[in-house]
Amino acid sequence: MDPAMGMGLVALMGAAATVAGCSEDLESDIGSQSNPNSQVQLAAQVGYPHRIFNKAISGEPPSNAMYCAVGAGVAMVLMSESVMSASPLIAIAIGAFVAALLNGVFSTTSYLGRNASQTRFNQYVYLDVLRNQILSIMGHAYIATFCIVLISYVMWNQNLIGHPFPFPVIALIWGLCVGAIGSSTGDVHYGAEREFQDFKFGSGLNAADSGNITRFAEAGVRSSMDNAWFCSKFGGPATGIAFGMVVFLDNWRSTAFTEVLNGWGAVIAGLLIVLLLVVYNRKIETYARKKYGPFPEYAGDIEA
Amino acid sequence: MSDITIVGMLMDNLPSIIGIIIGGICIAVGVHFVPVGGAPAAMAQATGIGTGTVQLAAGSGLTGLLAAGYMYMTLSAAGTPGITEIVLICATGAVGAMIMITVTMLVGNWVYIYGVGVPPASAKRDYDPITGDPQAPYVAPGTVGQGIPTVCFVSGAIGGLLGGLGGSLIYCMLMWVNGDPAISSIFAIGVFLVNAVLPSYNIQGTIEGFHDPKFKRLPKAILACFIASLLCGIIAVTIPSVAMLTGGS
Repeated sequence: MDPAMGMGLVALMGAAATVAGCSEDLESDIGSQSNPNSQVQLAAQVGYPHRIFNKAISGEPPSNAMYCAVGAGVAMVLMSESVMSASPLIAIAIGAFVAALLNGVFSTTSYLGRNASQTRFNQYVYLDVLRNQILSIMGHAYIATFCIVLISYVMWNQNLIGHPFPFPVIALIWGLCVGAIGSSTGDVHYGAEREFQDFKFGSGLNAADSGNITRFAEAGVRSSMDNAWFCSKFGGPATGIAFGMVVFLDNWRSTAFTEVLNGWGAVIAGLLIVLLLVVYNRKIETYARKKYGPFPEYAGDIEA
Repeated sequence: MSDITIVGMLMDNLPSIIGIIIGGICIAVGVHFVPVGGAPAAMAQATGIGTGTVQLAAGSGLTGLLAAGYMYMTLSAAGTPGITEIVLICATGAVGAMIMITVTMLVGNWVYIYGVGVPPASAKRDYDPITGDPQAPYVAPGTVGQGIPTVCFVSGAIGGLLGGLGGSLIYCMLMWVNGDPAISSIFAIGVFLVNAVLPSYNIQGTIEGFHDPKFKRLPKAILACFIASLLCGIIAVTIPSVAMLTGGS
């Protein structure tokens, strides 16, 4: 393939991945999926009933892997000549739509099931919460799935990158990857900051305060939409940057340096990237330690 | 089909079975290196990455597998890859996994530092074994650390390397046996997950990396993954051969 074309595709994939990562994180924030769900689940049990959407379908990586694999599977069938030879863009859009419907089914049953089982803690099923949030969850899931299936299509298509893995398997792997990244980065912003905004910024969350989530918003009772609004300022874009960086850096080093030193160029370039990231991480670690200083409550004898 | 045929089949594919076992053990060791804090880390109550062991190991290892699969295809254009080529394929997969996990840890630290306002600190050691920085004064009260300090970051990068290496090696071995990227990739994902799930019983939700006391439980995981990978290897080399013998595709 022409190098300029290769770099263009890598840039396109990086951009699509950034959108996918951001959308995936906001979808999980609205639905309180993944680890922060433990607090939403616990809140009612320790005496804090709330109106936050609660869907712990599974961990984010397996659920996103499933949506993306379903989207790619449907798109692949629609594109095959024996079915309807649909154009790739239409096929991917329909595939992502089917995946979003699947997400809607899981979210609905998950919300109803979880809240119905918590009636004894005064946590009720709010149908308006379900109606208002579900389309937003499905919409974000659609965007994330569409972008990931698009990336997978670019990788799989024999005229573009021509990856040997089947289309749905590539989508499954990227879905797993985006879920793992969303769960590790953006969800922390929701779980550690937005859910506990009543506590002083930077004070850390004492384990004894688990379940005491913030239930009242800037105006009125807090809903999952307020959470998405807050997380879209930092957690969501950070997840997008992370997934975009993974897709871009990994493909960039493979595309640009594969010919160098019989393929070892790509390995060396990758190791240099990792080294740079380690150094940069050390920089921000020392910045944080200087900026915030030790916790005043610390009573031990180790000097900061 | 007689028993002798199966034994012969296994003997013919012995190098592939050994490769799958080595790959499985690499994954098991790699999982122990990855600093995961599970749900408590997502609430900044524990050091490490705020997600599950298997999910993060699989996310990084399989990203490496994608890179390795592409490299295998490129190199196999000149004939079936030999040992030299497989070393390069495994290195490519390992570096792909390292990139994924280091980017995730870095952006995770952005969120801890800029979004939550806490400095990364380990609660398992008083001083960071790599940088020598004191840790205890920076641990938020009532928690067991937060964020990803340098020692955990380096440990995570090593974990990604081993996970990507193991996944890629298993893929290469399966390609030697059946030559079909579709079957090999799906089976490699399966073997990867088996070897990522078993060590997570050792980890019990949270581990900070190689400096964590739980890391000493590693030999048990290696034994368990040796047995599991041996079984996976036997099945992996038998299935395509059985299909060929019985006239299947």
